[in-house]
Amino acid sequence: MLRWLNQHRYALGVAFRRLRNQPVSSLCNILVISLSLAVPIVVAAVLDTARPVISQLPVSAEVTLYLDLSAPPEAARKISAELQRAHAEEIESLEIVTREQALQLLRSRPAWSDALAVLPDNPLPDAIVITLRQHPEIAQTTDRLSKQWRELDLVDAVQVDSAWVQRLQALLDFLGIGLWMLAMGVAVVVLATVFNTVRLQALTQREEIAIARLVGATESFVRRPFLYLGALTGLLSSALAVTIAWAALQPLGTAINRLANSYGTELPLHLPDGVSLILAGIVVAILGSLSARWSVYRNTHF
Amino acid sequence: MIEFQHVFKSYGRGRNILADVNFRIEPGEFVFVSGPSGAGKSTLLKLIGGLEPPSRGATLINGHRSDRMPARARPYLRRAVGVILQDTHLLYDRSAIQNVLLPLAVTGHSPAQSLSRARAAMEKVGLAGKEDLNPIEMSGGEQQRLAIARAIVNRPSILIADEPTANLDEESARRIMDVFRDFNRVGVTTLIASHDRSLMADYARRTMRIEGGRFTDIPGV
Repeated sequence: MLRWLNQHRYALGVAFRRLRNQPVSSLCNILVISLSLAVPIVVAAVLDTARPVISQLPVSAEVTLYLDLSAPPEAARKISAELQRAHAEEIESLEIVTREQALQLLRSRPAWSDALAVLPDNPLPDAIVITLRQHPEIAQTTDRLSKQWRELDLVDAVQVDSAWVQRLQALLDFLGIGLWMLAMGVAVVVLATVFNTVRLQALTQREEIAIARLVGATESFVRRPFLYLGALTGLLSSALAVTIAWAALQPLGTAINRLANSYGTELPLHLPDGVSLILAGIVVAILGSLSARWSVYRNTHF
Repeated sequence: MIEFQHVFKSYGRGRNILADVNFRIEPGEFVFVSGPSGAGKSTLLKLIGGLEPPSRGATLINGHRSDRMPARARPYLRRAVGVILQDTHLLYDRSAIQNVLLPLAVTGHSPAQSLSRARAAMEKVGLAGKEDLNPIEMSGGEQQRLAIARAIVNRPSILIADEPTANLDEESARRIMDVFRDFNRVGVTTLIASHDRSLMADYARRTMRIEGGRFTDIPGV
């Protein structure tokens, strides 16, 4: 056991020495990997910040039916009853906002009261605000019903109030998938960079490898420093990537917050949580190690 | 103990470098392998050192069939056989003692234990005080002795050397041979490939001559 530990300590020392002996080359490799890793970290940070904010927005599908101005006063009640009967399974709640209630609401807002004062009569129509039940295909249901209701007699216009939230949610879902694809692309970058680094190292260490074999080194002993080299490259790159991402989020966060403030909200951009970052670093180190193993296996058969 | 039974060695479809070689070397023997260049001396040493397998026949090293050993077991055989090649194969990017430390790292010795054994090995071959020199700063004879220190640091039971005195002056060559004789005196089986007749006359107790891939045993030269 002690011998095994000594061999690992030796391999780790060799890996550090090889990194240190070629500082420019090692730094360039670490920079390439860390810059690639920083991109998904920043995207993950933006998604992490945006997701909870979006989830707090009213995502329930609301459809407003505006009746024709010439519609009789009892039309709204009649249409509401018909809709409730015909679409009981799809409608969660239904509210009638009469043209008088709408006018009163607008008058209570200072920005509108002056404009309404000069109008000879009420220009607002009766409206029916329908909230649909949530289910996975809510977007399709909303689309189908709004088209259907647009054809109803006395209905002048149909407005889907929550469509933008659903679109935003879909965009975030799309970005989430994009993030995974980006992460896979970065994994390929890590594999390729470490593979090439180890290949070059194996070529420059041919003599040492040959001598180690001559004095009884097992293949595990020969490979071990390269595996550590791959893992160390991965870990150092991950640490640098987190630093780069943190630095990039500072100006980005300021700009986004300025925009969010104008909508009366806040979007504090922050790095993904520590556990996720540590796990990601470990995954990158394992990837580096696997790539090194593959490379050293291919490049030390001499 | 080293034993070869009907051993053949060829590369690809080429001629046999070794053809039907049979011999047995008892523990503690001091043997010279002589013969003209290209006769197969180096090939024989590679087979003994487990660096290459025979094409046919049985090779026994310390009672183990090395020809039947799986590739993953061969490194353990190599640890029992100290190999010194004509080209010393030293690492010139590190100090002399770091070259001697490499086999100890392979066997997993602790840094303190390794350092003490490496120093002792260097002292045995007359290189005490030269631990921190780069091998490139050493003479040919010193480099050869450094290679011997590296070969013996793990205390092998067999020591094989391929033309260890080939590029050395007579005095350096004799110092190297004295080192081999000293190890042999403490029981290390020693095999040296050489074509230096004067050295053989002074040091050999048994010589195996190889020519055209075939062996002739000349005991007690």
